[in-house]
Amino acid sequence: MARIGVFICHCGTNIASVVDVEKVAQAAKSMPGVAFATDYKYMCSEPGQAMIKQAIEEHHLDRIVIGSCSPRMHELTFRKMLKATNVNPYMLEIANLREQCAWVHTDRAKATEKAINLVRMSVAKVGNNKPLHTSMIPITKKALVIGGGIAGIQAALDIADCGFDVTIVEKEPSIGGHMVMLDKTFPTMDCSACISTPKMVDAGAHPNITLKTYCEVESVSGYIGNFEVTIKEKTKFVNHDLCTGCGLCQTKCPTKVISEFNQGMSKRPAIYIPFAQAVPSKPVIDENACLKLTKDKCGICEKICPLGAINYKDEVRYTKEQFGAIVVATGYELADWKKMYPEYGGGRYEDVITGLQFERLVNASGPTEGHIVRPSDGKEPKDVVIVKCVGSRDPKKGKSYCSRACCMYSAKHAHQILDKIPGSRVYIFYMDVRTPGKGYEEFYDNTRRDGAQYIRGRVSKIYKEDDKLIVKGEDSLLGRPVTVEADMVILATAMEPAPKIEEVVQKLGISMDKDKWIQEAHPKLRPVETQSAGIFLCGTCQGPKDIPDTVAQASAAAAKVAAILCHDEMETSPMISSVDQTKCSGCGFCVPTCPYKAISLVEVPGRDGNRKVTKKVAQVNEGLCQGCGCCNAACRTGCIDLKGFTNDQILKEVDALCL
Amino acid sequence: MAELSEAMVQDLIRAEAKKALQTGEVSCVIGWTATRFEDRTKPYFAQTPEECDMLIWNRYCINGTAKFALDDRYPDKKFGIIARGCDTRAINRMIHDKQLKRENLYIIGVVCDGKENPVCRQCAHKTPLVCDVMIGEPVQDVIPESRFQEIEAFEKLSPDERYAYWAKQYDKCIHCYACRNACPACNCIECYADQYRVGWQGKAADREQNQIYGLTRAYHVGDRCIECGECERVCPMHLPIMRQTRKMLKDINDLFGPYECGLSEEETTALGEFKTADPDEFM
Repeated sequence: MARIGVFICHCGTNIASVVDVEKVAQAAKSMPGVAFATDYKYMCSEPGQAMIKQAIEEHHLDRIVIGSCSPRMHELTFRKMLKATNVNPYMLEIANLREQCAWVHTDRAKATEKAINLVRMSVAKVGNNKPLHTSMIPITKKALVIGGGIAGIQAALDIADCGFDVTIVEKEPSIGGHMVMLDKTFPTMDCSACISTPKMVDAGAHPNITLKTYCEVESVSGYIGNFEVTIKEKTKFVNHDLCTGCGLCQTKCPTKVISEFNQGMSKRPAIYIPFAQAVPSKPVIDENACLKLTKDKCGICEKICPLGAINYKDEVRYTKEQFGAIVVATGYELADWKKMYPEYGGGRYEDVITGLQFERLVNASGPTEGHIVRPSDGKEPKDVVIVKCVGSRDPKKGKSYCSRACCMYSAKHAHQILDKIPGSRVYIFYMDVRTPGKGYEEFYDNTRRDGAQYIRGRVSKIYKEDDKLIVKGEDSLLGRPVTVEADMVILATAMEPAPKIEEVVQKLGISMDKDKWIQEAHPKLRPVETQSAGIFLCGTCQGPKDIPDTVAQASAAAAKVAAILCHDEMETSPMISSVDQTKCSGCGFCVPTCPYKAISLVEVPGRDGNRKVTKKVAQVNEGLCQGCGCCNAACRTGCIDLKGFTNDQILKEVDALCL
Repeated sequence: MAELSEAMVQDLIRAEAKKALQTGEVSCVIGWTATRFEDRTKPYFAQTPEECDMLIWNRYCINGTAKFALDDRYPDKKFGIIARGCDTRAINRMIHDKQLKRENLYIIGVVCDGKENPVCRQCAHKTPLVCDVMIGEPVQDVIPESRFQEIEAFEKLSPDERYAYWAKQYDKCIHCYACRNACPACNCIECYADQYRVGWQGKAADREQNQIYGLTRAYHVGDRCIECGECERVCPMHLPIMRQTRKMLKDINDLFGPYECGLSEEETTALGEFKTADPDEFM
């Protein structure tokens, strides 16, 4: 016969103010199997835990029900406590009397009745608990970082500095991401390239870091500690083992196409190193532009290369590698405002540019060597309009969220224009100015002091009249329409997740939110973890953020990775699915329902009548299973059970409530 | 080509069955044979070429032939199955559920223009969807407009009226499991209803247990129903069982777009796959 101990927590006044905790404890005493019941002010406190331990010893309890806060809060605390006793840590049930009762009710009598019912259900469930034991799995001491922007670089550097091997997979020919495109960074006005390129070089030269540029993650299998990742190396057509990066090929290539790095504001050859400080500083051939590859003409780069590094017959290569942990740092892309805002010209006016295009324009290594000129005629603009929240905070046309960095970089752009062009005027159309960062508000104040005119309101229309762009908007503080004749307009467009984020998410078996940002495990307490163990995230793949936040998150993710890789083996949760293979029909419906790819069909010897046959049945990979229970619901035979949440346990709970 | 008469189809079926048995490729051919009643046929397993002359084809050949293949899940030789459109959907169902292997079947497909069976009025696939030989001219697949008519009318009733209706129906149920035994989607090796587990499916034929059985059966078949109507045909108490699965199919059609299953052996069922891109507006 079970000997159950019931402990009802007051949680200060959190529970006790609404629920009559003494009455609940009293009621618990008469529930079947309960040998001891009491209440206490703070069960999770040191004396509270000591009291439980003492009760276990005195009353020979073999299973425990604690009526307290959510199990997400303190289940682990109490499990740890039970480790020091004779009771198995999984012979524990938490009745959530705080979030699911006290916090949501006001009627004391009814809340108390509900609390008693919740405790009754937990008592019924714990009666069917079985001791569970954790197992150990070995760990591959190597991390994968997906994305080589500042987030990926920082995470990789931090992990590598802890002494673990890291591989960075970057889809572009060079690491660096968006940060290296920027000119100066707010609020300190450091040169972005000057502070990010040393990190790129460090990453390239670090003995523990392997760079895999122009590569993509093809598939991911396995689980925390033991991921098996297939990496696809796209066709570079240049043998990087031979190439020294002399750049001769670039100078002779006759094809010129739009430069992605310069945001379409200059041209690059078909064989190209994306920018001067690229790491690795070796070219790749754009197969869609190269004359040799598209029309089988030209071939100059092959002739001119002194090392014979050009190989037009290059093929896509796949390599398989094992990793212990994965960091996702796939970053962002600017939303395509042209489709969202036809009233801003929809891309017809060359002088309506994005913030990122302005960064290239004002950058000394950019297409104009840092001179702020109009893309259309190369003239210096005198009147510049900056429009904020283009696509952000606009649920009807764009995104409902705030892109966070735009307020500050728009202030920075205004500052740079006013600084570089004497006699210039800058008008900033804004909804709110958000400056929540160290030194940000001061920077914004300075920009206003510089002379930037902030106009609170949205822009309704931009059109061209002669040489000028006419910007029509509203000054909502004065409550009247505003018209500005501008030479150039800069749009602070919304950030959105990198393209193909769905593919990455699907391959990794993690989830994303409604805007396709990757979902963190808990917004406050587990901000760099994903729902899948061993997969972490950092930077703008999780949501819009600026560089300081990105770097901080990258180091946080690195710390999480190091905390896994520093062990030789790890404990797994025993609350996972198990299959009763004698009942399994082998229909395989559980296989595609599993979000973690943890179930597979295996062949086992079996009997059919008096014959020996080979049967296919489901098997759960204990390392991969996260105990979500999808497979239980899919199994018609009922042969899959989630340990700790078995069908019988849940039935007992329902019966306790309803019968 | 002129339309084949019933007698001609019957001759062709016998000839194909004989051929298959003569080559020794199949162990038997499952079809229909006559009974002492003119308007009744019964399933028949022809095991020798001579026995093939017992096979018949007329408008009373209403039993499904496919599920008999499950009687031996590990056969030494192929099963020959005379299959109409609905039988081929049943075959696809069981192959998809990994209970049959296509290579263990020799399918003699017969184009069927409907039998003396009410469900045939809603038949969308008169032509076999998978077969080794085909008898008759394939016809265009048309989903009849009457597919969900009955359900639409039923949905208009109030929840209380619907409950009263089903309570009355399930009070008749005798828990014989005929619906399950005939259903090609009910192909578990050990049905949940046969398992002995305290608190699970009770074995008594009372209202409570009957309703639990009815609900669970409907959900287990759910998005995998091929609309063959065998459940309703075999029910000795004449329960309108198809209404349950049809209602689920209608809901799936409304929520996910046009949906039928059992059309090929490789398909995904509407509710049987986890995709990270699935809409989750309800969260």
